[in-house]
Amino acid sequence: MKKKPLSTPKSSVTDVSVLENKALSKLNAGQYKEAIDLYKSLLKHANNADWRQALAQCYLQRALAFAAKGMVKEALVLWENYAQNAEQPHEAFDHYISWLLQTNDMAKIKSCLGQLSAQQLDEHYPELASLLGLLIITGKISCQDMLPKDSVFMMHLGFVQEALSAYRNNKLEDIEPALKKLPFRSAFRDFRTLMKAALLVPESVEQAQSLLAKIPDGSPYHQAGALLLAITHGGAALINDLLQLTPPQIKIIEGAKNFNKKQIELLDVLTKQKDRLSDKVKFNLAIQYQALFGTDLAQHYCLAALSTYPAGQRDFSKHFGTMDDFEAWRLKALMCERDRDFHGAEYYWQQGITVLKTRGADGAFKIALIMRHIAAHQQTPEEAVSWLIDSLGHDPDDRESYVKILQYFERQEQETDAYKEWLDKSIKKFPNDVEMLGLAIKAATRNKAFKKASQCAQALLKIDPVNTFAKQVLFTSHLAHARKLIKSKKFHLVEKEIHQAEKITIGKRYQTQAQLMRGFFVFVAEDKKQGSQLIAESVQKLNDGLVCAYFCATLEALLLDLQSAPILKELPPLTKDYVMSQQEMTQLIKVIQQYADDDNVSQTLLHKSLEKIKAIIKQSIKQQDYGEELLLSLCQCLERIQHFELLRFCVKIAQPLWLKPIWMYYRVYAEVNGNAGKCSYMNFLRLRDGLNNAQLEKDQRAVALIGKFLDQYQKSRQPSGFNIFDSLFGGIDDEDPLDKLFGHLPEDLYDQLAEKTIQITKKNPPERMLKILAAEYLSNDVAKMFNLLNDDPEALFAFLMLKSADDLGIDIGVTAKDIAECFEGQKATSKPASFPFF
Amino acid sequence: MKTPYEILEVTEHASDSEIKQAYLQKVKLNPPDRDHEIFQHIHSAYETIKNVTSRENYALFNYPEADFDALLEQAFSTTQPSIMNADYFDKLLHASIDDKTFLIGNLTNTTA
Repeated sequence: MKKKPLSTPKSSVTDVSVLENKALSKLNAGQYKEAIDLYKSLLKHANNADWRQALAQCYLQRALAFAAKGMVKEALVLWENYAQNAEQPHEAFDHYISWLLQTNDMAKIKSCLGQLSAQQLDEHYPELASLLGLLIITGKISCQDMLPKDSVFMMHLGFVQEALSAYRNNKLEDIEPALKKLPFRSAFRDFRTLMKAALLVPESVEQAQSLLAKIPDGSPYHQAGALLLAITHGGAALINDLLQLTPPQIKIIEGAKNFNKKQIELLDVLTKQKDRLSDKVKFNLAIQYQALFGTDLAQHYCLAALSTYPAGQRDFSKHFGTMDDFEAWRLKALMCERDRDFHGAEYYWQQGITVLKTRGADGAFKIALIMRHIAAHQQTPEEAVSWLIDSLGHDPDDRESYVKILQYFERQEQETDAYKEWLDKSIKKFPNDVEMLGLAIKAATRNKAFKKASQCAQALLKIDPVNTFAKQVLFTSHLAHARKLIKSKKFHLVEKEIHQAEKITIGKRYQTQAQLMRGFFVFVAEDKKQGSQLIAESVQKLNDGLVCAYFCATLEALLLDLQSAPILKELPPLTKDYVMSQQEMTQLIKVIQQYADDDNVSQTLLHKSLEKIKAIIKQSIKQQDYGEELLLSLCQCLERIQHFELLRFCVKIAQPLWLKPIWMYYRVYAEVNGNAGKCSYMNFLRLRDGLNNAQLEKDQRAVALIGKFLDQYQKSRQPSGFNIFDSLFGGIDDEDPLDKLFGHLPEDLYDQLAEKTIQITKKNPPERMLKILAAEYLSNDVAKMFNLLNDDPEALFAFLMLKSADDLGIDIGVTAKDIAECFEGQKATSKPASFPFF
Repeated sequence: MKTPYEILEVTEHASDSEIKQAYLQKVKLNPPDRDHEIFQHIHSAYETIKNVTSRENYALFNYPEADFDALLEQAFSTTQPSIMNADYFDKLLHASIDDKTFLIGNLTNTTA
């Protein structure tokens, strides 16, 4: 066996180089322990200054890392290793001294402090200086002799001792001058702040607190500041402070706050429990330390705490006596309400009311409030109003309740005697109430009781002279009365009535309306020519275009049972090619709607008034591009006054232009003159599609209109009593044609075919679909198909099921002949709703 | 959580006019354009107790709050006089050191 040859010098150089690179890489990676070993190895090869310096850095970084973990002794040894390898001046010398201070190694401390220069202490090591200052003034160490005598630190220490001495000798006036000598950059800056804050306690606590906030977290005086801050606190804030402190520190606070034995005992419990105070512990503490909390507050707390700690009920009664009956029910009711159990709450409130009924006037007021409270939580307005009405039996002066009751009755579709009764009661109770008078006016106008409406409006205007609503009502009332007087030929009273209307300052338009009425008065009672001119002038002033003026003049004449022809003669003629502008069409819609709102104007009168201008309206719709929105408004207006002729015309023009489902609705609606029962099955299908589309497009108006129409359609197709007998006996004829035809199919196959029928109906428009079905199954006999559908629309579904099965290649054992035989002569007795896609 | 009475600093037996006076005084000190939230707080308190009906409603339908902090406030009131003299000041300084390590703050802030 051969011996291994000794490494050559060349390979040795290579090893050192590798080692050096490795050491450097470890140093850069912060792996100081490994780096130290590598540099130590390197230094065995040669005493390289760079390697030594790198080794020293590694020791220093390790020392600082250990110190940060609180391992001060290890840090000290590492720093000393650093110092052995590093050149002077040494880094982190202040840290080294602070670590020595923590280990209380006085010999080394004195040696190090003796090495400190004045410049180091005053300028380079401010944090060490601050710490040394605190240690010296508290007598923890005595090292003044070792510190440089010429340092600013020593001079400031003298000022501090001067201030402390003045404080200890109670010469408070000497403290401030001594503290003033300490500048902002002094090592005793935070001492100065702390002492100033201490001098402000207890007189100026807030100032002291703001001073203490200036002591930074890293300052040696920070903890002293926190203790002083705790002294300035009370209540829960103090307890929170104490939870952060040690028992000896808490003792100091207790002494400074001058707490008594009981307070200290409670503090002890609270700080030991820390933040683990349960509802039970708090409840028991409230009872146990009543003397500190005050009996009332403790009782109030325990009462409230019973909701989360109901087991405390017995202790509560034992210490504070039995709870008042009403209070017990009240708390139970409120607990239910907190849990959103309003039904339960109502029960407990009712129990409370029973108790309150024995307590006279005070009880009555509370009962009324509780009833109103219950009313606010009712699910239906009927129930709420019932509670409100009851509440007035206990407190009859509550205006809000009257208003709510009236508003409820006002919202009812038909005016009831109850509403009249409550309105009378309310007006009697609150004769000068604006809101009540407003409601009374509305009701009187609705009932055509113009005199009463005008009386109420006058009363309202006395209270609120600028109330526009009252003015409008009064004005309308005067004109309506004037119209009535003209019709009954009591001409001597008309002028006065018109004059009364004119006196109301409400706007130019209203003045013109009064002038229009005067025109009619002159026309009827004085001079036809002059009257016609006045009317013509007024209607033109009131309206932007001639069509509106014609409409207005005609309608007003009809309202007075007059012939409109002589009046219209005074207006400029409407030429055959007259086309209404967009603005005029908008105004016409507005005017029609205003008259439609007027209870004095019947639908017949509106239709008659439109008779003379409908040709122009049609012509305008045909020729003018009004846009979808305006035509929709027109259709809405025509639907309202049920003018189907114009509606049909309008839809005929508009529907091909726009795709919105609402157009299909207006088309069908106009075709059947608003009677859903006359709607054809094809149109029914079209509307079904329209409804789906409207839902997809989130067109709520169309959804509501189509939905309502379809409901009416369904109702119209159900024989009377259908539901009752059907539910009782399962129908007159138990054999539903669809059941007869497809009842044998398994459910999943039935669903599959039904799904397919929807696809077929979506793919083909209704007319085309019927033709396809007739061609395939009835030898192209479309008439027969219609007859079958007429007898029972469900025949369509049956044919569709058959087609679905054929398309899918499934033999379901049903033929077209079976379907035809099943539905022939069959009147619809089954619900159309059995359509799967309905 | 303060009650409306505490917010307006009136007793529970205060009259309508006393409550209104207190409210106006508070609004004067805390106008809405200065701090709207505080103003809202004050206004809401006033609305809650401004008349007999609202006060009775508050008394009937306000669930009493189990406020343990209110008990602590009563037991360890901030108004309780504290003693602060040179003796306690020394104690604060000493208590500060006993529980403190002498480590000087920032490690990165090493000095040469």
